[in-house]
Amino acid sequence: MSTHTTPAWLLVTRREVKSRITDKTFLIGTVLLVAMIVGFMGFTTWQSEKTNHVKLAATPDSVAMVQAVIDAAPAIDDKVDITLVRVDDAAAAEAALTDEEVDAWLHPASGAWELTTESSADSDLTAVVDAIVSQQVLSQNAATAGTTLEALTAGTQVSTVFLRGDATKAAVADVVGFVFVFLFYIAALLFGMQLASSVIEEKQSRIVEIIAAAIPLRHLLAGKVLGNTVLAMIQVLIYVAVGLVGMAFTPYRSYVSDISGPAVWFLAFFLAGFIALACLWAVAGSLASRTEDLQATSTPLTMVIMVILFAGLSLDGRAAVIASYLPPVSAVVMPKRILVGGVAWWEPLVALGLLALFAACTVWVGEKLYRRALMQTGGRVTLRQAWSAAE
Amino acid sequence: MLEVRELTRRFGDNTVVDRVSFDVPAGEMTGFVGANGAGKTTTMRMIMGVLGSDEGQVLWDGHPITRLDRRSFGYMPEERGLYPKQPILEQLVYIAQLKGMARTEARTQARELLERFGLGERTKDHLEKLSLGNQQRVQIIASVLPRPAALVLDEPFSGLDPIAVDSMAELLADYTSRGIPVLFSSHQLDLVERLCDRLVVLARGRLVAAGTVAELRDVGTPRFRLVVGEDAEWVRDHGGLDVVDLQGGTVVLEIRDPGAEQILLAEAVRRGAVHEFVRVRPALSEIYREATA
Repeated sequence: MSTHTTPAWLLVTRREVKSRITDKTFLIGTVLLVAMIVGFMGFTTWQSEKTNHVKLAATPDSVAMVQAVIDAAPAIDDKVDITLVRVDDAAAAEAALTDEEVDAWLHPASGAWELTTESSADSDLTAVVDAIVSQQVLSQNAATAGTTLEALTAGTQVSTVFLRGDATKAAVADVVGFVFVFLFYIAALLFGMQLASSVIEEKQSRIVEIIAAAIPLRHLLAGKVLGNTVLAMIQVLIYVAVGLVGMAFTPYRSYVSDISGPAVWFLAFFLAGFIALACLWAVAGSLASRTEDLQATSTPLTMVIMVILFAGLSLDGRAAVIASYLPPVSAVVMPKRILVGGVAWWEPLVALGLLALFAACTVWVGEKLYRRALMQTGGRVTLRQAWSAAE
Repeated sequence: MLEVRELTRRFGDNTVVDRVSFDVPAGEMTGFVGANGAGKTTTMRMIMGVLGSDEGQVLWDGHPITRLDRRSFGYMPEERGLYPKQPILEQLVYIAQLKGMARTEARTQARELLERFGLGERTKDHLEKLSLGNQQRVQIIASVLPRPAALVLDEPFSGLDPIAVDSMAELLADYTSRGIPVLFSSHQLDLVERLCDRLVVLARGRLVAAGTVAELRDVGTPRFRLVVGEDAEWVRDHGGLDVVDLQGGTVVLEIRDPGAEQILLAEAVRRGAVHEFVRVRPALSEIYREATA
């Protein structure tokens, strides 16, 4: 028998990856999510590029105003194309609305203007009409008062100015930050559960005894953690790549370069954060004796992941700065801060170092607990039992 | 040779295995019997190093057993099951590789064994697609795969149909004939009696009997049964023996003085027809019941 063979941990890693990657549910899940990302991007693009054709009804008393709206509309929103439809009176206008021959009817009502629609208003149209009508009426009022619109509104504008970037960039950072946090949450939960149940599968079927007689259990743990980390990384890489490439085809293409850097940081933090949790997932699996126990043994861990999710979504300001150094929430908070900008070059490095240190601790503790709990048969094992168990 | 010396395991205050010692000689099949909870599985897990021992040790070829020694052992745990959703050849190769075998060699051996158990056509099937008996066969193959140095099998025959029992027995005999020590536990005493060279009996964590089957059956005062043509009442007056049971011409007796049975036989022949004169050995089940009582 040859003694120079593949190391045990690598064999385990390979099996984990291979058995999962050839699993239909895994493949279908991945493809579905990619399709969803592409679909979402496509929809966003289509939504923002399509022109909104609106038929606006005008009774004789509102023809002038509607014409004014049509003339001024392109200056306000060039994606709204308004057509004038003349109707004889209010009754005809309402009939046209009911028959869906027109989308809205603009008319004066008790000294003001009213935009009547059948049941729901088109927000783009409402914004355009609102802006133009108020401008028109203000001009008239100004003329009546013997002044001009410009004189009246001088100095009333509040414009938003960003020290860094602009409003759209901030919005994009918000959305992408949300995606980062959510990706981490989903992957940590799904792959964690998967890892834990594969540990239970081995424990329950006692194949772990055959394995334990053949190789040190730390090799088994290392292989399982690595295998699932590789799988999670592959999946997240695919999503990030598809997301970035897809973004290049949307109106937000100019932000791709801004996001790419933070995306790389995100992947680095994801890796460290995932490994930190993966060992604990393996422990959760080893404490259970049947799949039904997993719910109970994994509760502390799911709580931690929930905390990471909420910290990632809700923290800002000073709290976010503190959290961005605090493992394991730093795994999502720091990439988010990098995305918003204004982070010194050394900050992510320190946070990543701390997270890696934390991961080293969980691996150390996890390995001990896993080894001791795995061989206990008959019922659930508590953390205390596992820690104090003899080997 | 595999030697178990004073092996002890406690779970809390409960001593599950209490200073158990026995040998599993090379080339012999040793049956491990005892009631449920007698400590068989715990002992086997300690031999395999899957469970630590509180006291005592396991020796392999005279030296304390190492991880590397155990790696070369074939082990079949009590509860069955490999990976249900993995093709059988693939997982057999995986397990053999974990035990240090090269991939190609593992493939060849796994294929050979699958053929032998009539599963040659099903190498790509998922384990869960096989019948229970066939799953058991795969389990057996998994334990004997890397040309084992010793076999430690926990209830290898449970759940097998008679044909599978035969091919399993044949396989084990194959290994013992190559000089490999085999230790297996079982509840089926008839099977143990048929297959085993030696027997180890455990009761409540303690060793109550150990030895070859013949040794165990010859333990105690030798018993004979004599069947003669006429009434055998005269045997009661014969010296050097005790009558255990007497009915008409049939008598069961225990020999007190060695050689007394020869004198008795000569006397019986002198008196008339002798239909039967035979040594009565207790069945294994009787020894077992007595030992574990």
